[in-house]
Amino acid sequence: MVDKVKTVVRIYKFRNRLREKCAGLGVEHAQISEEALALAEAALSEMAEDYPDWVSKEIDKLAEYQRRCIDTPEERRDYFIKIGETAHDMKGQGGTFGYPLITAFADSLYKFADEKGQMSDHDVELIKSHVDAMRAVIRGRVSGDGGEIGEQLKATLEQAIAKKAKR
Amino acid sequence: MSDYDLERLTVLLVEDSHFIRSLLTNSLKILGVGKVVTVEHGGEAIDFLKLVHEDPMKAGVMGVDIIMSNWQMSPVDGMLLLRWVRRHKDSPDRFIPFIMISAFSSKARVHQARDMGVSEFLTKPFTIKSVCDKVLLTIESQRQFIHTGSYFGPDRRRQNIETRQEDRRKLKEGSPGVEVVRG
Repeated sequence: MVDKVKTVVRIYKFRNRLREKCAGLGVEHAQISEEALALAEAALSEMAEDYPDWVSKEIDKLAEYQRRCIDTPEERRDYFIKIGETAHDMKGQGGTFGYPLITAFADSLYKFADEKGQMSDHDVELIKSHVDAMRAVIRGRVSGDGGEIGEQLKATLEQAIAKKAKR
Repeated sequence: MSDYDLERLTVLLVEDSHFIRSLLTNSLKILGVGKVVTVEHGGEAIDFLKLVHEDPMKAGVMGVDIIMSNWQMSPVDGMLLLRWVRRHKDSPDRFIPFIMISAFSSKARVHQARDMGVSEFLTKPFTIKSVCDKVLLTIESQRQFIHTGSYFGPDRRRQNIETRQEDRRKLKEGSPGVEVVRG
């Protein structure tokens, strides 16, 4: 009598139906058309032109939230959350559109706004430093790492953060 | 070499950023993908997948071929969505290809997604080329699925690499306790 062994591993081997759906049966090699690729690249460049506009609107939003933090200190928590969400939204794609500095500043702001417990007037000031740095990037169309201007902006922001840490 | 025809594909895109959502939708459409359905977070994605299963006419699509999802979203993020798709009893297709998109691409993060059964990982910021490469990989290299006590998902070993260390895989095809399901 054969002992019945309990199944501990199951391996599923399926026909690649997704490939059949896209290439048809019996097609050995296929690719995504060069033409479509070029068109998609072109569309991306076109969107890249809109990117500074889009980011400017987001920066306006941040500035507005920051002002509200001053006007209505009792609602600071809510605005910090909104600032964190907006920064998160901004940081993902800056690099694709040639603005890695926006990604860097937005990332810094996102982490800052996410830290629990800090909501002093100085913290609100620090948000403003971030907003100003981002605005400077977009206004000056500082793409890439921004060379000297980029370094300066980064240094200013880091100084502001360091100053805050000392308090 | 002939070109893939992606016209019959339906991609479910889960992304909370409006800008990135329209960017990806646009790119996928230009690459030839027939239908791109967009939702804003994992919860909406789960609702949509259920709807497609229960009432495809109402959902407007007969099925979803690939899920592309951002990781960081609220209230339901990409990781929870992936877990639901791979492990939940209500999941209509536990084998569906799943591409995770994230700006956080540390090794630990990628491993976390891999161990939850992700198919591919797309790092932000992405380029058209990287989007295209991940979609192609998804279509071409369908891996076998492995189901063990602690894992369900595509085979995490993509390559057959000789190792000088002891092979910790005790079971292989044909070993007692290993069942192969074909379909």
